[in-house]
Amino acid sequence: MIKDIIIKIEDNKLLIVLKKELYEKDAVFSAAYKFTDKCVILIEPIDPFSIGVYFKPKSDPKDVDLEKIAEDYCNEVLDQQIRLDLEKRYGNIRELIVRHAFLPISNLKDKIEIE
Amino acid sequence: MSNKYPYQILPFKHVRFNDHELLLVNEAGDFYFISIDDFDKFIGYGLPKKNDVFLDLKSNHFLIDTNIAEVIDLLSTKYRTRKRFLNQFTSLHMMVITYRCNHKCRYCQVSSEDSGSYRWDMSPETARRIVDYIFCSPSDEIKIEFQGGEPLLNWETVKETIEYAEQKNKKSRKALEFVVSTNLTLIDRNKLDYLKFHNVYISTSLDGPKSIHDKNRLLRTGGSSYDLFIKKLELTRNILGPDKVSALMTTTKDNLYRITDVVDEYIKLGFDGVFFRALNPYGLAAKNESLHYPIEEFVKSFKEGLKYIIRLNLKGIRFVEYYSTLLLSRILTHFPTGFVDLQSPSGAGICGVIYDYNGDVYPSDEARMLARMGDKRFLMGNVFKDTYYEIFHGKVMTEIVEKSCVETMPGCATCAFQIYCGADPIRNYLETKDIVGHRPTSDFCKKNKEIIKFLFEIIKDNDEDVQDVLWSWITKRDLKEIRGESFSRYSNQY
Repeated sequence: MIKDIIIKIEDNKLLIVLKKELYEKDAVFSAAYKFTDKCVILIEPIDPFSIGVYFKPKSDPKDVDLEKIAEDYCNEVLDQQIRLDLEKRYGNIRELIVRHAFLPISNLKDKIEIE
Repeated sequence: MSNKYPYQILPFKHVRFNDHELLLVNEAGDFYFISIDDFDKFIGYGLPKKNDVFLDLKSNHFLIDTNIAEVIDLLSTKYRTRKRFLNQFTSLHMMVITYRCNHKCRYCQVSSEDSGSYRWDMSPETARRIVDYIFCSPSDEIKIEFQGGEPLLNWETVKETIEYAEQKNKKSRKALEFVVSTNLTLIDRNKLDYLKFHNVYISTSLDGPKSIHDKNRLLRTGGSSYDLFIKKLELTRNILGPDKVSALMTTTKDNLYRITDVVDEYIKLGFDGVFFRALNPYGLAAKNESLHYPIEEFVKSFKEGLKYIIRLNLKGIRFVEYYSTLLLSRILTHFPTGFVDLQSPSGAGICGVIYDYNGDVYPSDEARMLARMGDKRFLMGNVFKDTYYEIFHGKVMTEIVEKSCVETMPGCATCAFQIYCGADPIRNYLETKDIVGHRPTSDFCKKNKEIIKFLFEIIKDNDEDVQDVLWSWITKRDLKEIRGESFSRYSNQY
C-alpha cells in the first residue's frame, strides 16, 4: 500500500503523492521542513486532486536511506495533519489561555466559544 | 459545553515516544503517556467516561467535560507562572572587567589578551556608568557578574563596581548579589577578605582531573594551572566558605569520553554538582578543531554521566547535574527557571545582559564573543552614547524578542517539548546567519530534544528511588529528607 504512495523516479529521487482532500498545505510543508537537513525537497501539484513531494539527497546518495526518509515523512505528515485538525477544535482555547495568562479578564465565560 | 461531543479536547502537542506510545504535553507543561490505540479513541471522542485513561486525561487537563472556565483559569495561571521570567527584566548583569588573562586556554571563547595589555581594561568611570544603567533595570533582583579575561587582573575596577553598586542600592533596596568568574590563580588573602566582607560568590572553572585540566587550561607563564588552582581553591573555601564557590566545566574532546572521571574529580574537590555544557563554538573554541565533537557524542556522554551521578546519589553521595535539574524543574513543576537558553522569547537581554570593557552592551555572553570575532550584529548600544531605553528597547532587542518565540518558530511551533525548551538566536545566527535558524540542522535542537527525551524515559521508568533523587535536586533537599527516612533499597537500573 505504502509503495503506491512512494514512487521511485530515479536512483536518487523519490516522489510521494498525497491526496489534497486528506492533507492540507500546512501539514505537507511542516512535515517537509523536518527533512531539509538530509534532502532537497520540492513540493508541487501533480493534478487538481494530488500534491507531489519530491525528495533528493543533499549528500552522497549512498549515505542517505531515501526510502526510510520517505516512510518517516508519511508518518510525519500524518502527525502534522492531526495537529492541524486538533488545532481547529481547540485553537480558540489556546489563544484564550495565553490571553488570560497575561491579561486577566473578569468574565471568562463570555469569551468562550467552543464546539 | 456543547452536546455535540461528550468532552472538549484541550490544547496539547504530541510526539511519537516509541513504537506503541505517544507523549502528550499540554499548554501548561503537564504531560501524559498514551498508547496509540487510546490516542485514537481520545481524539475520536471514543473514550468512555469511567475509563482510567479518560480520568487521567481529565485530571491532567487534556480534556474537560464540566466547567471549562475554571480549567482555563488554572492553565492560564500555570502558563503565567512559567513566563514569570519576563517580570524580572533584567536580573543578571555581566561586566567584562578586562580581556587580560594570565591563562591562554586552548578553547578561550573570547580570545583573551596577555597580562600587560591594559588597554583592554574597563575603567572605573565606565564601571560606574554601567552600574547606573544596571539600576535602571525594573527587576527587584540584581546579580552583577564580573567576567573577563581574568577580572582579578583589574581588581580596582571590581572593587569600585561593588562599592558603587552597594551605595546606589541603599536607595534602590534591590536584592543585590555579586559573582566573580575567576580562574582563582590570582586570588589572595586580602582579596578574599574583601570578597567575604561584601558577600561575593565565586564561579570558577574545572575541566576534570589534572591531566585534562592542564591540557586545555594553560598558564601564560607555563607550569600546571591545576596545581595552582587546587591551592587557591582551598584558600578560597577556607575564607569564604564552601557554599560560596561553584565551578563550570568546558566539554572538549579531552573530557567528553571521561565524563565519569570528571564527576569523580568534582566530588573529590568538594563540589556538590556539575553542569554538563557542550562547547560553544566561539573564539579559539571555533578555530581549534581538535577540541570539537559531534553533538550526538555529547548527548551520549551526557546520558552516561547522568546515569553515573544518579547511581552515586543512590549510594548516598549527594551530587547534582545542573542542566538536568533545570530541565526537570521545567518538566515536573510549573516554576520558571532563570537559564537564558531555555526561555521563550529568548532570555538574551531579558534574563541577562553583558557590558563590554568599553561600555558596549550585548544581549548575551555569546553575542559579545561573536563581537570579539569581528561581528557586532548584536550590539545593543553603548552606555556613554545611548540611553537605557534606546539600548533595551532598540532594534536588536526588539528583533530578538520578535524572532525567538518558540511558539512561532519553524520546527519549534509544533514540537511537544516546546514548553520545556527555548531559543538561542545568537547561536542560530552563528550557524545560519539568520536568528530564526534552521532546526533540522541545529545542534542546540538536537541536544535539547535528545536530553529531554532521555529525561522523560527516566520519568517513565518510574523507579521510586530514582524519582526521589530527581526531586531532591529540584527541591534542593537531601535525599533522606525527600524520602522521610534513611533508604535501604537501591535501583539496579542505574
